[in-house]
Amino acid sequence: MSQPAPLAPVWRCALGLLCFAAIILSSPWPGPQAIFQAFLVLAVASGFESPLVAMLWAAAGGWILEGSLRMYPQMGGTALANMTLCALTQWHFKNRPPDHKTSYWGQLAAFSLGHFVLTHLLVRLTAGPHAWGMGWLWVLLTIPVWGTLSLRLHLPVRRR
Amino acid sequence: MRPRPWGWTPAGRRRYAILALWLGHLGWVVLGHGHSTRWQALLGTLSWPVQKLSAPLLRSRANRAEHTRNLERAQYELAMVRQRLESLQMENARQAPRLQEADEAIRILGLKKQVPLEMKAARVMVNVRTAPFGGMILDQGLDAGLVRDQGVFCPEGVVGRIWEVSQRESSLLPLDAYNSSTAVMLAQSRATGVLQGVGPGRAEIRYIGSQEVVQVGEPVYTSGLDRVFPRGLLVGYVVGSRPEGPELQVDVALAAPLNRVHQVLILPTQPRIDLPVPAPREGKVKP
Repeated sequence: MSQPAPLAPVWRCALGLLCFAAIILSSPWPGPQAIFQAFLVLAVASGFESPLVAMLWAAAGGWILEGSLRMYPQMGGTALANMTLCALTQWHFKNRPPDHKTSYWGQLAAFSLGHFVLTHLLVRLTAGPHAWGMGWLWVLLTIPVWGTLSLRLHLPVRRR
Repeated sequence: MRPRPWGWTPAGRRRYAILALWLGHLGWVVLGHGHSTRWQALLGTLSWPVQKLSAPLLRSRANRAEHTRNLERAQYELAMVRQRLESLQMENARQAPRLQEADEAIRILGLKKQVPLEMKAARVMVNVRTAPFGGMILDQGLDAGLVRDQGVFCPEGVVGRIWEVSQRESSLLPLDAYNSSTAVMLAQSRATGVLQGVGPGRAEIRYIGSQEVVQVGEPVYTSGLDRVFPRGLLVGYVVGSRPEGPELQVDVALAAPLNRVHQVLILPTQPRIDLPVPAPREGKVKP
């Protein structure tokens, strides 16, 4: 696969901030919000070189998401799920860098489903029963779009 | 020397930080139950413009969904009403012949009470009057005591006479048959003649002198001279007259609807020419 230039950390941080803004601004629409959330956790945050920085970005995304929803009586479940999945994704792509687009999409789909299930389990543990929604479907259907965009974010991992 | 991964080195401190961050969140999730209203309020303020923007959209979407639900409910109710209407129409069509028969039976019963004769009711099973050599078949025969030349009539007027009798059925010769002859009289001039059939629903009176005055629309009654019908049963109405030699040919439209008569009354054999006056009902007689 061709190797484009790695994304600079500044641009990566800018992308993360844009994801924060998108999560806040798309709060009335849970479907698109789930896409930005998955993109932030599985692509932007997990692409950082430092695991600590990656987990901080993922945790911040979870807190922002739950805060913008203003639905949960207690928060923190999404942040914990984001951190866990971010660490798993980062570890996975560090050891098995993506080498083909379709296999990368498949891996992202598997991580998206795992992220969805873990998020809802932890939110249930934290805030109690809640509606699951159809965000997972939005995320899975748009993987060819945001997965292709995020491929470049994970490529530098191979060079480390 | 082998590096210690969990020592107090920069890498080790990062690991401790990661562990603290993750365990802190886990502890918050499992143990912590603090409300985060301020955090939510802050983010709610940040997303306020979008919330305001989306409110009308969401409201219109909810309204559209409500309208769709109402439309679907109305369509379902309409389909149910149509189905009910169809079933009622089918039931109505199924009951219509029975209702018509019941109406005729009621009228026959009323007529039977008005005419003070021993009459039998019968039903027309087959009506092939317009076919060549056709006629009407009644559901009564020798079993009911019927014989030839008994008069038959219905509430609208005279129908014909019994022509042939078998064990359980009998055939009827209608008034408009070419070989039918009935003694009749005109209502105003009291001139008597013989009614002969000339076609479906039509007949003509013969043997009336050309000097008689006949008016169109004049009723025609049985005269009772043939001893088949008593005097005074309605036969039809005059629709025209023309002189033919010494006679006056009088065209008559028959009063009885021969095409759609279902219930008839059969007169006794050779009834009296004049019908006895029915006895007044009790309670209606003035002292």
